[in-house]
Amino acid sequence: MAPPGQAQRSPSPSQPSGKGEVSDLKAQLRQLAGSRAPGVDDSKRDLFKKVISYMTVGIDVSSVFGEMVMCSATSDIVLKKMCYLYVGNYAKGNPDLALLTINFLQRDCKDEDPMIRGLALRSLCSLRVANLVEYLVGPLGSGLRDGNSYVRTVAVIGILKLYHISAVTCIDADFPAMLKRLMLNDPDTQVIANCLAALQEIWTLEASNSEEASREREALLSKPLIYYFLNRIKEFSEWAQSLVLELVAKYVPSDNNEIFDIMNLLEDRLQHANGAVVLATIKVFLQLTLSMNDVHQQVYERIKAPLLTLVSSGSPEQSYAVLSHLHLLVMRAPILFSSDYKHFYCQYNEPFYVKKLKLEMLTAVANESNTYEIVTELCEYAANVDIPMARESIRAVGKIALQQYDVNAIVDRLLQFLEMEKDYVTAETLVLVKDLLRKYPQWSQDCIAVVGNISSKNVQEPKAKAALIWMLGEYSQDMHDAPYILESLIENWEDEHSSEVRLHLLTAVMKCFFKRPPETQKALGDALAAGLADFHQDVHDRALFYYRLLQYNVTVAERVVNPPKQAVSVFADTQSSEIKDRIFDEFNSLSVVYQKPSYMFTDKEHRGPFEFSDELGNLSIGADAADTVVPAHQVDANDKDLLLSTSETEKEDGRALSSNGSAYSAPLYDAPASVPASQIQSDLVNLTSGLSGHVPAASLAIDDLLGLGLSVTPAPAPSPPSLSLNPKAVLDPGTFQQKWRQLPISLTQEFSVSPQGIAALITPQALLRHMQGHSIQCIASGGQSPNFKFFFFAQKAEESSNFLVECIVNTSSAKAQVKIKADDQSMSQTFSTLFQSALSKFGVQ
Amino acid sequence: MLQCIFLLSDSGEVMLEKQLTGHRVDRSICAWYWDHAISQGDQLQPVIASPTHYLFQIVREGITFLACSQVEMPPLMGIEFLCRVADVLADYLGGLNEDVIKDNFVIVYELMDEMIDNGFPLTTEPNILREMIAAPNIVSKMLSVVTGNSSNVNETLPAATALCVPWRTSDPKYANNEVYVDLVEEMDAVINRDGTLVKCEIYGEVQVNSHLSGLPDLTLSFANPSILDDMRFHPCVRYRPWESHQILSFVPPDGQFRLMSYRVRKLKSIPLYLKPQLTSDAGTCRLSLLVGMRNDPGKTVDSIDVQFQLPPCVSTADLSSNCGTVNILSNKTCSWSIGRIPKDKTPSLSGTLVLEPGLQRLHVFPTFQLGFRIMGIALSGLQIDKLDLKNLPHRPYKGFRALTRAGHYEVRA
Repeated sequence: MAPPGQAQRSPSPSQPSGKGEVSDLKAQLRQLAGSRAPGVDDSKRDLFKKVISYMTVGIDVSSVFGEMVMCSATSDIVLKKMCYLYVGNYAKGNPDLALLTINFLQRDCKDEDPMIRGLALRSLCSLRVANLVEYLVGPLGSGLRDGNSYVRTVAVIGILKLYHISAVTCIDADFPAMLKRLMLNDPDTQVIANCLAALQEIWTLEASNSEEASREREALLSKPLIYYFLNRIKEFSEWAQSLVLELVAKYVPSDNNEIFDIMNLLEDRLQHANGAVVLATIKVFLQLTLSMNDVHQQVYERIKAPLLTLVSSGSPEQSYAVLSHLHLLVMRAPILFSSDYKHFYCQYNEPFYVKKLKLEMLTAVANESNTYEIVTELCEYAANVDIPMARESIRAVGKIALQQYDVNAIVDRLLQFLEMEKDYVTAETLVLVKDLLRKYPQWSQDCIAVVGNISSKNVQEPKAKAALIWMLGEYSQDMHDAPYILESLIENWEDEHSSEVRLHLLTAVMKCFFKRPPETQKALGDALAAGLADFHQDVHDRALFYYRLLQYNVTVAERVVNPPKQAVSVFADTQSSEIKDRIFDEFNSLSVVYQKPSYMFTDKEHRGPFEFSDELGNLSIGADAADTVVPAHQVDANDKDLLLSTSETEKEDGRALSSNGSAYSAPLYDAPASVPASQIQSDLVNLTSGLSGHVPAASLAIDDLLGLGLSVTPAPAPSPPSLSLNPKAVLDPGTFQQKWRQLPISLTQEFSVSPQGIAALITPQALLRHMQGHSIQCIASGGQSPNFKFFFFAQKAEESSNFLVECIVNTSSAKAQVKIKADDQSMSQTFSTLFQSALSKFGVQ
Repeated sequence: MLQCIFLLSDSGEVMLEKQLTGHRVDRSICAWYWDHAISQGDQLQPVIASPTHYLFQIVREGITFLACSQVEMPPLMGIEFLCRVADVLADYLGGLNEDVIKDNFVIVYELMDEMIDNGFPLTTEPNILREMIAAPNIVSKMLSVVTGNSSNVNETLPAATALCVPWRTSDPKYANNEVYVDLVEEMDAVINRDGTLVKCEIYGEVQVNSHLSGLPDLTLSFANPSILDDMRFHPCVRYRPWESHQILSFVPPDGQFRLMSYRVRKLKSIPLYLKPQLTSDAGTCRLSLLVGMRNDPGKTVDSIDVQFQLPPCVSTADLSSNCGTVNILSNKTCSWSIGRIPKDKTPSLSGTLVLEPGLQRLHVFPTFQLGFRIMGIALSGLQIDKLDLKNLPHRPYKGFRALTRAGHYEVRA
């Protein structure tokens, strides 16, 4: 069971050498099984302990299953517990033997002692063997009605376990309704909390195939229920409180008074000793006041102190999680935290990841009043022993300078860094000085004087070297030595490994040439020659380009290479505000710690190259990860079919779907409604593929052919050149964003959505699944009724040409506004038609 | 929703595995984690995305508590829960180490069974757990020898679950009723090279140890509650009296617990000073440190020590002091333990650092961490006014103590 590596790491004395011990155990257990001698329980206990310890170490002891069950007839509760533990661990692998345990577990479920009843019930549900579910229903039902609350809490969770083993059995026995009754009436709060947890999970998973379940799920957010929980919140255990607060955060109050009522009720939760409760409360506060700007600000003021206390108390692990949330809030509203900047000062012995978060916050809260102190503090870190930290703090200083506060003093500081004569400090500073000069050209005189003194031999890092070379080129008229430094760099062209540096070198020597031709001419010649001989394609191309440009006309070349530059006013932010908003919506979740919205790490395609456990799908609650795999995707679409199908006419695929009778929904824009003679041939080709069962619509086409449907069907409407899409299109969000920025909008249209579609659009997920059936994948979605926003993408089947769509659906006006961007502009009209037809079928099927 | 909890020893061996849901988590995740942990060193984050699971980890006394989840969940819930598991185990087993967990793994399994079911935390209240599963202490061992009943499971279910004060054992009885209230404060301070105070604040806790019979009702009030900046309370504290009169009114749990934690910001005075001096000259660096009282708190300051990391460019160091002992460890950590400051002299440490060849002067400077302990005073100035007890048959014994120690108290050079 255990990977061999682990077993070797620390051989403990209790570890047996081989199979011999296990068979020994087996024999001893067998001896004890029938015995009723006094003291037999003690020897059984020793044996059980041995079995369990083997199991814990990772040795397979499933072979003693039968003996363990035989020995389980005992009144000793510790023996029972060990036996339950053993059975729970191995039943799944031995379904036949598990049947043996049912008997004694069922008997224990009727024991006098509530503790034993509860434990037996828990073990019974933990067997998780599908063909034994029939034995679960009875004990679970009586467990729910048990007089003891301990048994009821176990039974409620047991029902959830049953649901995961066999959803049908659970629903047929009407357990969800019983749970609901229990949730509303039980005196014990732990039972209520467990009911809530179980129902949330069951109804969320059921919602996709049952109207009633999705109604019930909505009902969990109804006013009476929310108030029922809120009024009793202090009676719940701290963990149950977090659960309830999570639910409340999703509730939409009807008016402002209600919001204030809820906040007043929950205010003291902010001082709870459990950090999970505090964060869940903060989430409720933030969500409730999203639409009320001034109150939202007050909420920030109110939650500041509890968050800061949470950071300074507790273990380092807890403070990291809290700090990540604080980081998010600071980034959203830096002004509100500007007076608390001292809290973000780094302690010497904090781990680097904490320091990094703190540095980012320090950078964000800097303003006129505190910049001086913050920068002074950051300069302390630059002299720190910790090199990565020193680098980060220099970068932070630079970022603050770019925020335009107190630039004068900061430039002085940065220049002092250059005088510290430490390689890494110099390197980081050079990169920053370059950025600063691009924004504040007026500082060039001061900077150049210092930069000019740096020997290029002391700068090794490619980024820093490139920055230095850029400055040499840009300010060559002011730097006396510039041409000569460049010349010496070009002499060492062969030793320069970074292509980035070589590219910069080419450009810099060009710029220098325009300003000081006689001194640079030789260097330029050498550089161009070296560049032309370079093995790196970009360097080679650039050298060639410059060469031809110079050959053509020197003045034109100057206009191209060294035009007058405008100062950069704002540097692009790396994280878009949209992503930040999404992370904020997912407050108090892993998203905040990873600084990524959940779709980037919970959706299958973003999870990186590793294969994920196949069981994941059934597990997710409320996330859309569960339904990303449409069966059609597993069938390898035959490229040939798709190629042929492009010449055919579009056909209503609702018909194909109904005739198919399954959820199969590969793109079906290929089946002919009427078949002109010229197309018969291609249909015949379809015939072969249809026989192989890949495309059901194609087999329909065969029916049409053979059934002499030729003359019966009416002539089709003139169709656009049709387009087939890749059902397995993949695009990562980064590329999507990049493309979305780069491409122009090729089409903007407004479609109407059918009333059925609007009705089906309770959550964005419904439309996602539908569109996926039409090979249009969703990359991001959000919003709440009445406005939903989606980003879709699709790929052409035979080439990697992408279509990107932004779609805003307004459910009250039943309109969808669609913006389409495409790699191939000429196809965007076609795609738009396709998109419209897919959208119009939403909810109709 | 957690799927599985592993306990790993300090060599990466799986000591215990508790599967919580039907979706078994394979042990190979531990091997992945261990490799990751080694590659990250001390930069390991508490929340990690592995290729297959999201992992929460905390490390206590060399034991790694690792929890796996595959779905989005509140991160603090995972971490807080693991912290509680660690606390409860340490409490039960009288400390945490590899052997004690291996010896008592049955109890650990039993505890986990009651603390979490199907991934949802149930109860982590030590008092309730104690009533369900007896701790393996000497008394129960004695009992089992005497009575012959060696079960560590209590016969009855805890009555407290049904009570309105779930944190309290149903009806404890003591011959000597006593309650102790301790103010424990930690001072965090950052002092710059020129002696200016960059930041100074105190994190404090009110710790109560209560051995009281029946169902007592306590009220604790402070002489100067207005100095507190922010506080957090044990669930037993009633909020209304605090909001209106700044009075802590509560029914205490049995035994030791943390009644309240608080923060006091913007303090102006620190008890000790440390003056570092570093002068470089031709490949060597002369270091001298002076430690002394800055503002006398009126009580003895003891357990004074200074710790610092020598910069990596220092090849050898020769340090000596006029009182206390100086140790330089192999990882270039230097510790100077002074104890109490003698009356007749100011503790000083001096010596030379030899830099690596080629370096003329020191570029990076160490940060000095100062440790101390002051008994009998809370440096924030917080004072307990009085403690009233109601609902008790006899007059109990009341005890008060205060203690301040250094938290992150650092001086930059």
